[in-house]
Amino acid sequence: MTQKKIKLELKHITKKFGKNVILDDVNLKIYEGELFAILGPSGTGKSTLLKVIVGIEDPDSGSVIVDGKDITDLPPNKRNIAMVFQNYALYPNMNVFGNISFPLRLEGMKKSEIEKKVNDAAKLLGISEILRSSVNSISGGQKQRVALARALVRDPAMFLLDEPFSNLDARVRFTAREELKRLRDSLKSTFIYVTHDQRETSNITTRVGVLNNGTFQQIDSFNNLYETPKTKWVGDFIGNFPMGFMQKDKTHLIGFRPEWAVVGKGNMTAKLVTNEVSGNTNYWMCETKGGLMIVLVGNKLLKVGTTIHFRLKKYNLYENDKFVKQVKSK
Amino acid sequence: MRVEIMKRKTLNNYILYAAAIIVAIIFIYPLYILFMVSFSPTRYTLDELYPSQLPSHLSLTNFVSALTQYNFVSPMFKSLEVAFLVGIITLAVAIPAAYGLSKLNKRLANLIVVFLFMANLVPALIIAIPISVEFIKAGLFDSALALALAQSLFTMPLATFIILGAFRSIPKDIENQARVDGMGMIRTLYTLLVPLAKAGVAVAFLLSWLTSWDEFTFAVILSPLKPTLPVIVYLNITEGSLVQAAAFAAVISVPVIILTVVLQKYIKGVYLSGGLTG
Ligand SMILES: Nc1ncnc2c1ncn2[C@@H]1O[C@H](COP(=O)(O)OP(=O)(O)O)[C@@H](O)[C@H]1O
Ligand SMILES: [Mg+2]
Repeated sequence: MTQKKIKLELKHITKKFGKNVILDDVNLKIYEGELFAILGPSGTGKSTLLKVIVGIEDPDSGSVIVDGKDITDLPPNKRNIAMVFQNYALYPNMNVFGNISFPLRLEGMKKSEIEKKVNDAAKLLGISEILRSSVNSISGGQKQRVALARALVRDPAMFLLDEPFSNLDARVRFTAREELKRLRDSLKSTFIYVTHDQRETSNITTRVGVLNNGTFQQIDSFNNLYETPKTKWVGDFIGNFPMGFMQKDKTHLIGFRPEWAVVGKGNMTAKLVTNEVSGNTNYWMCETKGGLMIVLVGNKLLKVGTTIHFRLKKYNLYENDKFVKQVKSK
Repeated sequence: MRVEIMKRKTLNNYILYAAAIIVAIIFIYPLYILFMVSFSPTRYTLDELYPSQLPSHLSLTNFVSALTQYNFVSPMFKSLEVAFLVGIITLAVAIPAAYGLSKLNKRLANLIVVFLFMANLVPALIIAIPISVEFIKAGLFDSALALALAQSLFTMPLATFIILGAFRSIPKDIENQARVDGMGMIRTLYTLLVPLAKAGVAVAFLLSWLTSWDEFTFAVILSPLKPTLPVIVYLNITEGSLVQAAAFAAVISVPVIILTVVLQKYIKGVYLSGGLTG
């Protein structure tokens, strides 16, 4: 396996606002060319973390290292990291061209060169038609492209995007994810984006960092997050349904995904609490003996209170809410 | 029932309008008289026991006599010079002050603003006398700059408050974006935030200008030999030349009226509330 180059490294980052500890010893390594998602519930400090990386917020301790260089003390304008803010933060007093060319004009680049760069970026993002429009008259999707174009004209060391899809309507959102992936593939640059919605991380990312309680609970491919969540919390958080947990003994839990269970026979039982229909599939929300809730895939609607028998094809073993191993039955 | 509510609403409206008209008359009537007196020969106004309330025999004689008998030009230029200096000095301090305050925790910033306004609670006279002593020592007595500096003491808090409100109404991420895009802090302030807050900055400038334009206490103490217009009016009144005083007062009122009308649009807008809400 080839040694991958580390693009960004965060070491022991902590950040407080007053007495609130928002980031608590955050450590992270991101490799060159990754499309990395930071996933976590609202208010966990995802935006704050991006702001620390880009230099708008100073961490209380810890260091930010880009391309092997410690940039913790550099101001944002010396870091060469591009960031697209959640509401795109377009300059309202400039038109689309003015917005995209803004960082280049600050650099004092020649006019002809600016024109070329802006036109190239606009072409790549499909916004050549609106270069002369006011930013107040364009759609949300277009605003996002303008913000992206403004970010990429600078050839930055990496891109940070804060909730890039949350202001788009559902239809555009779907294609926007694929476009982001295509953009990364064509630029071969490093992208880090933040989201609270796991559906926005499943298909396109190289890895996902799950942020909660001020620190990364797990950093892994989305598939691994789903398959082998390292803690009960991650198991609950990832997946359309929380991972089902059953008490094995005092300190051990069994965790499994709905599709890992075979319903009908087996020596495990649970009582149906409610039916939930999602698309073509019927899910049974059940209560187990210890009182924990699990989800099973059912083939029909059943009466509430019915006892369901099932067995598990595989399951994860947790000790004190920490992953121990995955067990496959013969 | 709906008809009744509508009736009550229109009745309320009438009462409101009536009240507004009465208040307006109370304010406008003296102005009206001022202009009557300044534009009519004394024969029809001050010299009559029961002068007519309607303008007749309009003429410019009072202005002509005021302008020919008194040095009108230099007080006017003095007033203009001081007012513009006050506007500029105020902005020069209030803009960075407001920017700094906008970076602070909101509660602390509001507290400091309240504190700034304490300067306005101290009577001008109390401040003016020690200042004048210092200015005499510094050789600044009677200069436009000295007077402007003193008057700026009183215009600064309101200007800072207004500009702070304007800055707060700009989304934080716009500024963050500018810093990420390569601007330092000072440049962000002057080339991005100030243009975005231009309405607030303009209001702050004009209000400061106006405050200086009709300020009296500092003017009479700090610049008695080369007076401003309000001081001239006062001197005329004490000398008994009421008509000339009226003419000068009319001249003073014109820009005040114009600017008030211009500012109205903004003054009732976000800029006076933006500072403290949210
Ligand atoms: N400048 C600030 N001052 C004080 N508290 C802040 C500031 N910025 C963010 N916070 C608080 O920090 C927490 C994390 O915020 P944020 O990073 O925006 O979370 P996320 O992006 O994950 O939703 C929130 O509770 C928020 O209220
Ligand atoms: Mg956020």
